Amino acid sequence: MGDIRQSLLPRDVLSAAKELLYHLDIYICNLVQSGRQPPQVDSKTLELVEEFILHAPKDRSTPARRMSALQELQLLEIMCSCFQEQSRDTVRQLMFSALFSLQGNQADESRMALLSKLVSMAIAVGRVPILECAATWLQRTHRVYCVRLAQVLVDDYCSLVPGSVPTLQNIHSASPRFCCQFITAVTTLYDLTSEELTPPLELLQMIVSWIQDDPRLVLITFLNAPLSGSQPISSLDVTPLGGLMRWCVKAPLTYREEKKPALTNGTTESEPEVGPLFSGLHLSVLQVFMLLPSILNEKGLFGRLALLQVESLAALTSDLSRLLDQADKHTHTSSADTHSLSQLTLDRLAQALQVAMANGALLCSREDLRAICSRLPHNNLLQLVLSGPVMYYNNIHTPPLAFSPHAAHSPIASHPTHPPHPAHPPHPVLPTHTPLAPHPSSHAQYPAQPFMTGMPFPFRPSH
Amino acid sequence: MFEDQAMSVVFDGSPLKAMQSSHSLTPQAALSAQELSQEIKSFISGIDTVQGRKLSVREHARCAVRLLRSVPACRGAVLEHLRGVYNEHVSAFLHNLETESDASAGVSSNLEDIIQEVHGVLSEFIRLNPRAWAPLVSAWAVDLLGQLSSKHAGRRVAPHSSSLNELLQLWMSCAATRSLMEAYSQCLSAMLAWCPDACVDALLDTSVQHSPHFDWVVAHIGSAFPGTIISRVLACGLKDFCSHGAKDQGLMVMGTDKGSRVPKIGSVVGILGHLAVHHSDSIRKELLRMFQESLSPSSPLSPTTSSTSWESSPQLRHAAVPFLLQLAAMSPNLFGALSAELVELLRPPVLLQLQALLQGLPREELDNMLGLAVHLISQSQSGGARVLRFLADTATPASVIISGPTPSPHEGVREGCDRLLQMLLLHLHKLVFNRSDGSEVNPHHSASPQPKRVIPFLEELQSHIGELCAETLRLERKRHLWLHQLLCLLSVYGGPSVATEAFCQLLTQARNPEELALAWQLHTTLSSCMVGLIAAAVARCVAQIHTHTLGPKQLRQLLLNLAAAIQSQDEERRGAAAGVQSSMAVQVGSAVSINLHDFGPLLLHGDPAVSHAAVRLLSCSPLPRTSSPAQLLLLSRASVSHFFLSLRRTGEVGSVGRDGGQAGEAVNYSVQLLSRLAAHSPLTLKAILQQLVEGALHKGNADLFGGQATDMSGAPVTAPSVSPDLGASLLDINCRFGTTVNFSGSVWSVFHAGVIGKGLKVRTARQLPDPSGVIQNIQILLSVIVQCCSSSGLNGSINGSRPPSDPDEPLPINAEAAKVVAVTLVENVCPDVANGELSWPPEEHARTTVERDIHIRRCFEAHPVLFPLLQVVAAGRPALCYCSAVLRGLLGTLLAHWEACREVLSTDSPWHLQASCLLVSCMGEGQLLPPVLANVHEAFPHITPFEVRLLLLAVWEYVRGNGPMPQKFVFNSERGLFCRDFSRDGDVARYVAPIHSVLHKNIDRLGHLCWRFQL
Repeated sequence: MGDIRQSLLPRDVLSAAKELLYHLDIYICNLVQSGRQPPQVDSKTLELVEEFILHAPKDRSTPARRMSALQELQLLEIMCSCFQEQSRDTVRQLMFSALFSLQGNQADESRMALLSKLVSMAIAVGRVPILECAATWLQRTHRVYCVRLAQVLVDDYCSLVPGSVPTLQNIHSASPRFCCQFITAVTTLYDLTSEELTPPLELLQMIVSWIQDDPRLVLITFLNAPLSGSQPISSLDVTPLGGLMRWCVKAPLTYREEKKPALTNGTTESEPEVGPLFSGLHLSVLQVFMLLPSILNEKGLFGRLALLQVESLAALTSDLSRLLDQADKHTHTSSADTHSLSQLTLDRLAQALQVAMANGALLCSREDLRAICSRLPHNNLLQLVLSGPVMYYNNIHTPPLAFSPHAAHSPIASHPTHPPHPAHPPHPVLPTHTPLAPHPSSHAQYPAQPFMTGMPFPFRPSH
Repeated sequence: MFEDQAMSVVFDGSPLKAMQSSHSLTPQAALSAQELSQEIKSFISGIDTVQGRKLSVREHARCAVRLLRSVPACRGAVLEHLRGVYNEHVSAFLHNLETESDASAGVSSNLEDIIQEVHGVLSEFIRLNPRAWAPLVSAWAVDLLGQLSSKHAGRRVAPHSSSLNELLQLWMSCAATRSLMEAYSQCLSAMLAWCPDACVDALLDTSVQHSPHFDWVVAHIGSAFPGTIISRVLACGLKDFCSHGAKDQGLMVMGTDKGSRVPKIGSVVGILGHLAVHHSDSIRKELLRMFQESLSPSSPLSPTTSSTSWESSPQLRHAAVPFLLQLAAMSPNLFGALSAELVELLRPPVLLQLQALLQGLPREELDNMLGLAVHLISQSQSGGARVLRFLADTATPASVIISGPTPSPHEGVREGCDRLLQMLLLHLHKLVFNRSDGSEVNPHHSASPQPKRVIPFLEELQSHIGELCAETLRLERKRHLWLHQLLCLLSVYGGPSVATEAFCQLLTQARNPEELALAWQLHTTLSSCMVGLIAAAVARCVAQIHTHTLGPKQLRQLLLNLAAAIQSQDEERRGAAAGVQSSMAVQVGSAVSINLHDFGPLLLHGDPAVSHAAVRLLSCSPLPRTSSPAQLLLLSRASVSHFFLSLRRTGEVGSVGRDGGQAGEAVNYSVQLLSRLAAHSPLTLKAILQQLVEGALHKGNADLFGGQATDMSGAPVTAPSVSPDLGASLLDINCRFGTTVNFSGSVWSVFHAGVIGKGLKVRTARQLPDPSGVIQNIQILLSVIVQCCSSSGLNGSINGSRPPSDPDEPLPINAEAAKVVAVTLVENVCPDVANGELSWPPEEHARTTVERDIHIRRCFEAHPVLFPLLQVVAAGRPALCYCSAVLRGLLGTLLAHWEACREVLSTDSPWHLQASCLLVSCMGEGQLLPPVLANVHEAFPHITPFEVRLLLLAVWEYVRGNGPMPQKFVFNSERGLFCRDFSRDGDVARYVAPIHSVLHKNIDRLGHLCWRFQL
């Protein structure tokens, strides 16, 4: 394979790339047929790819050749048909990874650029094989690059070209795996910390509709994943559940903050829809959680694989406490509004926590949970969730009935021996609420810790 | 659709139609994946994959647009393809223009269609999502514009890149470039909201790349967004300058051609230069704002959101001032815009801030900046005077005495300005002297005289020389030193004309010797390189006098200054030190003397102060060696007139107070002037004496000397209203006598005493204003005349080389001068030349001239000054001979008087007695009479009128017998006088007999006089 370099050198940029692709195809076919395990593309070939397709400067003496945009488009078109025509999945995967798996060198930038264009084009012209390969790529690659790819796609279809959202919408049917990975990447990208990191409305609508149509979509990668142990480090999460949960929980706070500048801009179109969208999304997420036990049991992973990471949960709660602090400080006028929104946030968090824990998506003791949530302000439901499945109380203190922050600050509320709140019937959001399953005590890492009812715990509502 | 148009920037009233709405708003929605794939293939290959035929340019472009709408990944390729389309359109457009045929109109219109379509799509995209599209499209459009304009720059129809307007017209009439321009403008207006720096950066980069051909774009964009573009361009330039400008700064101080090393600042200058044509105000505002904001302490809450970028960085703020200086150094336009108002801004608080800012800079950089500032000031074409004033004001040390309108600046600021000013002077000095050196070093180039290097600062200051001189003369501490130095530089720079002007101004404006010394200092400095400066300056002053540009005060000052200059010469001559100053005084003297006739008329200036100054100048200035008689005569006439004027002034103001002193001084100067003039040449002597005598007798001046205004007949004039109508007329009388004989000159026509039967004529009351004043005036007049007569002008020629034996002894009266006086006297006193011969007739014949004689007597009555004049004439022997007629007439009337007199004593008619005495003594002095006869007047007061007549008759007889002929006088070289030897005449004894008789008769009273009449 290395010997063709001399023949490629005199060619013009495009035909050299075409020829290399051709040779690469043959080479990988041979590689697969030889049955060597695991099939490995050698470094010579990778260098050729970098030189003739990605046009990374090989050394300082030879100036990097560049393709014009037109030539690049031709190359992309050739790649599309190349992957389309290759019938064997293994060969495609190998070829894709030979072309686009990141090598940690300076060719990665052009690699990412080319990959982004290829995927974007594949979406436009409906090249399923490429999307499948890209889904795999998204599973294996560091999340930073995944996020970049997602960013490009969102830019292309949701902002640059008006009216092209339907094209992106199609990927749901074309390649659910890619779609699932795309959602994961997007939720990782848009963490609602700033205006830039808030998803465009079209994207939000699209994702919500995808999940509402088919809640299992978010689990597809997980379902297809061979084993939990094969996850590369700091790749994307297996499911977008964490990200989606974050969206739902933070949305009331962040979107409220953006309301004011949006109003001054006069673009009111995105205003009213957001609330219901997130509400629906929240429901879908909870529903997906509900699906989990059977799947986990099927795979024999119930209680052994945490789809929600405790660390990300901790990050979320600290984010939340910061946001709630800000909300308290900055909005003096509409404090009632602010209060209801933060309660909505906390409610959603509590619901999600409860459902996730109940369905084995979150493996975490209530002690840990209390520690994580200790900085959050008071919320009845959250307190319920934190205190565990206790249906009675034996405390002489009168529980605080008011939810106002003032109550939270009152000496009674901040009493160190504050009792658990009297339990209410389960939240109406969970109509099909089943009694919480006990944690399987067999799990070594997270031994079930039965909650000692009536035990006082240091709960500080905030500050 | 409307919105669409509103969003796209409208140019030249013909906006591109922003595409058909059917295309833009409803994209061909449902292109399936397969169709898209086909489209891509078609686009790539240029062949319609369905029908298998080649796509036309137009179809190809349409295909590209479809891809642009549906496949985001094709964006780059499509835009690249569209470049080709635009290029093709421009080619066709230009070709069409070149061939000027409409054959290819179809092609171009086809493409124009497509271009409109593309433009519509792009503008729609930008409108829908400016954040995503504006950076993309703006970069593309700018790059493409750059390529197109530089690629087609060489076309025949394309105007040269320097003619910006034609270029703009050409490109804006081309649909492709216009569309690009509109798209770019749209992007820009969208991007200005959030990332203005980026788009201006791109603009600048492209501008650098396609330097001259791209200018029209920048100019157009700049004029469409003047405010933002200017401030952005400045901000970009500043950033760039800050990042790598500081190192190059030193190099660029002197040679701006090194500017290519900092590309951005070059294009910043270029762009601003273009914009300066129409937006110089905005540019100036921006520059000044940049300056101000770089100084003002950073305020985080500053409401200026548009340009918070550079103000927030302290580093950039520090670089702002050097950057502005650099800009100014590179572009005269910008410099002009900046300098005009910068000085106004530099109020004390701003200066303090500036100082605080600059203190932080390293010394080397400061020096560079200082050098740059000095360079700039020396190159400034306008406002130099203001800059100079500001510098001088600020650098002048605070003083208790001199407190200007502004409070004294901070000491550090003052020192800074001081340093700047000194460096400026040094720099100018170098420039000025290197410049002249250069022209001298290359004498072989003199055939084609290379134009001297222009120093705009000095050029401009040349028109402010007057103010500079005034400032200099205020003698404020250091300031006048600086300004004086500057004046020197200016004079050297501007050549003789400027030097003359400066010198002239100093001469005019100096008010005291210290100030005048500045003029000498200037001259000392300049004398080495300039010849004839003083002469030119004086000539210029004279010109100013002629054009009446000087006010009386200035004029007076100028004359006084000149006088002081000349007088310093005398002092120097007396003193030991004969330095430059004396030579200069000599020069001034000669220059003044050349123009003396121009100063002459000033003697009669209406303002006493001016005339006083003029006489002072003239009295001390040397007289011209060669001068035309006419001028001399004019001068002498003016001098004499001034003499009488000043006499009158003395009389008017009295001798009290300063004015009196000045008037007296004026008389002294006048006397001095007259005597000098008289000494100058016989001509002037004659003229002056003549005029003096005439003037003294003139009715306007008569009262000065105790005289009366007399009419032609010699009778005192009575005011018509005063004299009562006597009801008598000479006509009636003559008719009554029935004769038409003219009795003129005969006894019959005597009406002087009045009309017979009506009594004597009423004499108007004589009012003598001030006897002492009159005496003084007469004394002055006499001293003038005596001085004139005894001056060396004639003595040299007639008296030979007789050394003045005794300086105390007055010089003898010159005979010729005395003759002039005599002749003039006769002319004025005696109206009738009949019987004017020198020899005397018998006494009886005197009756024939009785009327004339009466006239003469009245003259003597009316003008007391005549007798002293006669005495002067008598002293200048033999001049009295020429007064023969007058003497005869007077003696005749006196004889008649004494004959008719019925008084007991001669003292009863005092005037006649006095006249007789004076007459005889004069004749004695003039040696018309021998001493024996001349002494008779001593007896007159003691004898009766008849005896007086007898004695006077004896006098008459003697003169008749020994005619008063000048030829009887012989020059006595020993005494320097003419003398008459009476021994040659007949025996005197004959005439002495009546004297002796009278003596005998009155021996009791005249005994003591007997010895006087011994022969």
